[in-house]
Amino acid sequence: MVFFAIIIGCLLGAIIGMNAPTISYTYSSYLAIAIIAALDSVFGGIASVINKKFDIKIFISGFFGNAILAILLTILGEKLNVDIYLAAIVVFVWRMFMNLGTIRRYYVEKWTNQVKKTHKQKPEPKEEIDSTEEKNI
Amino acid sequence: MANKKVISIVLCIMCMALTMGIFIQMKTVKKYSTAEGQNYDQNNLRAEVLKYREKYENTLKEIEKIDDELEKNIEEATNQNSDLEDAKNQIQQGNKLIGTTEVTGPGAIIKLADSEIESSKVLDPSLLVVHDIDIFYIINELKNAGAEAISVNEQRIVSTTAIECGGNIITVNGEKIGSPFTIKAIGLPENLVNLDRTGGYLEKMREAGLTAEFKKSNNVTIPKYSGIINYKYAKSIN
Repeated sequence: MVFFAIIIGCLLGAIIGMNAPTISYTYSSYLAIAIIAALDSVFGGIASVINKKFDIKIFISGFFGNAILAILLTILGEKLNVDIYLAAIVVFVWRMFMNLGTIRRYYVEKWTNQVKKTHKQKPEPKEEIDSTEEKNI
Repeated sequence: MANKKVISIVLCIMCMALTMGIFIQMKTVKKYSTAEGQNYDQNNLRAEVLKYREKYENTLKEIEKIDDELEKNIEEATNQNSDLEDAKNQIQQGNKLIGTTEVTGPGAIIKLADSEIESSKVLDPSLLVVHDIDIFYIINELKNAGAEAISVNEQRIVSTTAIECGGNIITVNGEKIGSPFTIKAIGLPENLVNLDRTGGYLEKMREAGLTAEFKKSNNVTIPKYSGIINYKYAKSIN
């Protein structure tokens, strides 16, 4: 049900976004940074679901709070003539990759466990590589 | 179960907001960026130019709004008074004559463009481009043929208009325009068509390898002059 809701939301958003008027160029940089912040929150949310620490209140506040904070920082940076948005992008993208790593590790682990179950007699060398990789990261 | 419902609705709304933002942003970027800049400085400069263009357009819109308001006020003031009605008609007539109102009517559309021959293949590449003189000459011929309103690339030709050469572009009313040029004129199409006569200027341009098309049209719209006509030194004698 949650999955369907996400897909319906994405489709609705795409349709509305395609038919909505374009915003002025001055504000497009703010929207861009807000999108990056929101994407970061989404990946963070998925990662927290996997870690079983998901809290809808924290998720919503992070989604909107991060976006607004990023926009405000960008405006402040423009006033001070410092490109703060670059720092915001670095942080958000870095966190995105961290969360993506968590998600990836979870699914790789799940998959290797399944493989282990089906081939109990002859363990494959692949799974050893996976487990060592895990420790390295 | 109820909790799950709430979660799915919230996620639905959030995904909607996110994808909507992404699509709007994509559309905006596509609209404004014609070619991707090579480096940081170029991108910044382009952003600056775009911001100024936006400001300019906003100011133009404001001016238009104020003009509309003025017209409305004039209309209201002259509603009852017949003397003022005459004055209003005079103002409208005058505006039409000096070119500060948009006009429409039958006329002709002339398209000029630089030659497609490569400039390295000829002795004098200057012969392959449309010059300010060409436009000057055509406007003069149009006036001679009785054109009442003329525009070059949406720049209205008024009494103070100067047409100058500016290297690879031409300046009309202080605005830079480049090839291809579209000259619109309102007048009797049967008279204007004489520009396309054998041995005429357009044919000479075609012989030189330039593009020069003439088209009669029943519905030509010529924009108004957006600048200010200000007479500082010329005083009227009563």
